[in-house]
Amino acid sequence: MKVALFIPCYVDQFYPQVGIATLQLLEKLGVRADFPRQQTCCGQPMANSGCERDAIPVYHNFVDTFENYDYVVGPAGSCVYHVRKHFDIIEQTPAVQHVRTNTRELFDFILNVLGVTEIPTTFPHRVGLHLSCHGQRGLHQANESEMTPVRDGQLRRLLSGVRGLELTELDRNDECCGFGGTFCVSEAGISARMGQDRVHDHVRNGTEVLTGGDMSCLMHLEGIVRRQKLPIRVLHAAEILNGILL
Amino acid sequence: MTSSREKILAAVRANQPAELPLPTVPLFEGDDSVEKFTAILQGIGGQVVEVTDVARLPEVIHGLYPTDYRIASPLLPEANVPVDANTSIEVLAGVELAVLQGEFGVVENGTIWVPEANMLHRALPMITQHLALVLDRRHLVATMHQAYARLTSVGSYGTFLAGPSKTADIEQSLVIGAHGARSMTVLLV
Amino acid sequence: MSHSQRSDIFLLDAERTTWHDETLWFVRQKRDKAVYATPEFQELRQLASDIKDHTLSRLNFYLQQFEENARRNGVQVHWAADAAEHNAIVLGLLRQHGATRVVKSKSMLTEECHLNPYLTQHGIEVIDTDLGERIIQLREEAPSHVVLPAIHLKKEDVGDTFHLHLGTTKGNNDPQQLTETARQHLREKFLAGQVAISGVNFAVAETGSVVVCTNEGNADLGVNLAKVHIACMGMEKLIPRLSDLSVFTRILTRSATGQPVTTYTSHFTRPGEGKEMHIVIVDNGRTKQLGRPDFRASLKCIRCGACMNTCPVYRRSGGHSYDFTIPGPIGAILSPNIDMRKHASLPFASTLCGSCTDVCPVKIDIHTQLYKWRQVLGQAGEIPASKKWSMRLLSRVLSKPGMYSLGGRVARQGLRLLPHGLTHAGGYNPWAIARELPEPPRQSFREWYAEQAGQ
Repeated sequence: MKVALFIPCYVDQFYPQVGIATLQLLEKLGVRADFPRQQTCCGQPMANSGCERDAIPVYHNFVDTFENYDYVVGPAGSCVYHVRKHFDIIEQTPAVQHVRTNTRELFDFILNVLGVTEIPTTFPHRVGLHLSCHGQRGLHQANESEMTPVRDGQLRRLLSGVRGLELTELDRNDECCGFGGTFCVSEAGISARMGQDRVHDHVRNGTEVLTGGDMSCLMHLEGIVRRQKLPIRVLHAAEILNGILL
Repeated sequence: MTSSREKILAAVRANQPAELPLPTVPLFEGDDSVEKFTAILQGIGGQVVEVTDVARLPEVIHGLYPTDYRIASPLLPEANVPVDANTSIEVLAGVELAVLQGEFGVVENGTIWVPEANMLHRALPMITQHLALVLDRRHLVATMHQAYARLTSVGSYGTFLAGPSKTADIEQSLVIGAHGARSMTVLLV
Repeated sequence: MSHSQRSDIFLLDAERTTWHDETLWFVRQKRDKAVYATPEFQELRQLASDIKDHTLSRLNFYLQQFEENARRNGVQVHWAADAAEHNAIVLGLLRQHGATRVVKSKSMLTEECHLNPYLTQHGIEVIDTDLGERIIQLREEAPSHVVLPAIHLKKEDVGDTFHLHLGTTKGNNDPQQLTETARQHLREKFLAGQVAISGVNFAVAETGSVVVCTNEGNADLGVNLAKVHIACMGMEKLIPRLSDLSVFTRILTRSATGQPVTTYTSHFTRPGEGKEMHIVIVDNGRTKQLGRPDFRASLKCIRCGACMNTCPVYRRSGGHSYDFTIPGPIGAILSPNIDMRKHASLPFASTLCGSCTDVCPVKIDIHTQLYKWRQVLGQAGEIPASKKWSMRLLSRVLSKPGMYSLGGRVARQGLRLLPHGLTHAGGYNPWAIARELPEPPRQSFREWYAEQAGQ
């Protein structure tokens, strides 16, 4: 099985430790992933801004980079969702179709491709899980409160298996954090207010470490946590499952 | 006016997509018990009173409402406000209690079908201060699917009525008695 | 003004924003409870969606079937191509009956057509009878929600308004007493109503009936006391069969307020003895939307408001921030069809979280349509020039791996070296108004990876 690591642009530049944790976690699970250096971005920033056409060369670069791999695995539900859902405006060559189908979010890949349901590690902290909307509603990685009261999902299951880890229960389990790509600057006021409300739900319910599968939401929430000097650490779930020590 | 009609229909013809299938709606059975009907109706502000014997209806009503109420009803001999389709608004506005026949009840939402023929006047069920509907306990269906299956015609006017008039337009605070009846009682016979 | 500028005004009152958010979230929770308690709810959504899709695909047939049946029932049917024609028809009917006063129950269509100011200009007194609508009518405001028109107001605001217009005691903010005052005040109006206007929730093609759903009973009371009933409907209100109502009455209020059904679900088929009934069928841009394959599903909307209650943006920006008759996510996909330039910012007033799509009882793909409207706006040049050019530049960088690596390194170094006050100046970096930027690491992932590979 030939697996490529897809490290989104902002993770590459600002959160290298998340890329490293992803690579190491996959290695522990017996997968040696390549990092093709030609990769840049999925094109979502342009497309979400209404400039989908400007994203086309970026889409082609993505497909060219990854077409020769069986799977493309990334620690970011939103970017993966973009590739799978919105690469429909370029010609659907076999390469494009192959890349769209086989680009997988990290935890989806671990659970549904590798079949791994438990990752032996310890993390003795109260952890608050932030569900990324694109992972949850877009890729169906977690139950939605619009449909059912049962809180269940891929990451919740993986984290529940971690020794010592206690999941906090939020008042609003799956409300959007307000990042929204370029929304975070074009609607900066609402975006910040949404993020503050999300963070305070975690504070109210005793979260010590805020985590999730999408670094973009976490970057936004971390920005608020640090501005407000709150006693919360923000980590990508790959870091926790890779055995980070605090 | 004709020109707009033709213009609109032509635009619809030009723009509507290829025909898509019309689904068959299943009957979705469910609980049709008196207990659930009672619980649901109470949940939306209504009241259910079981009347063991139809002959005791006047007595039950006397027990529930002040005796000097101005009552309109085709079901009670002691009704003292005669109402028909031509009754003036002033007379209608004075009705304190209307006692009318409900055709059947829907358990899932506590609603009762009242056709025009049972209303004396179309405005009576809403203009009366209080409303009581007499309902045969054998005439309960589980869901709206069975309800519409039962209605071969909706007549000229008819309404599914569920509880007293209400509003939550001020800060989402529920207030009973908006414009229609202030209370609604189902007399189950 | 853009949506974000109007939102910023709303956000200034942080406490009120919290209250608005929590009030609507409470409605969303009531909806959830009702939905969870209905095991076949998801099946009903699919049925509702399919029925509406089918109806739109044969709209030409159903419109004519409906018209024929309504006429046979003794109802007069009128067709209006746009808002102006709709308003003229209504005024004509009022003049024909020498009416100077009209009672009106809730109708988003008449809001869309701006019927009230039009009639008022022509000397007609219009009384909105839905409590929420009456409140905002007295305050000369627009509704901020399709189901809860006065949801932006606190009881103190309503108390002040009633004190000013209806003579209640100053400081009396009790919802029970305020509602009772409105009941007495509006009863007089009902009793004196000459003509009643109502909206339409559903129009049944096979019977020619219109169905109106209210909790207050104001539509029935108004219509049944007046000599003339004028029902105004958008052409998308049609459904084929009487039995289809079983699906729609089950999903409408559960989605809207969490109630199992509205208090009154009334079927108006024939005029009362000696009375008149008119139905005005309105296009006003709907046929155009029908011709847009990506956006026609927006015509399936049954105006339950669930997408507003669930929208995390709407809850924190208020309905007026949309500056369109229908606010919230559904308004953001309906409005560009009416005026693309004026409403260009609305499809961007969303994080595309998708919750609207998931609560929608007729399964409109709202968030996908928001994304698609963005592309239409982008191609039509209706996005800010700064955004357009920065995206073009970004595309250049991101489609060339070498340029991207270099650019990333320069930017990170810049962030590391420049003073915090400069990198976080809110004036040109909106990110930093309420958030810290990520701390730039020494090495990017790709630099680390190359280093590892080199060793």
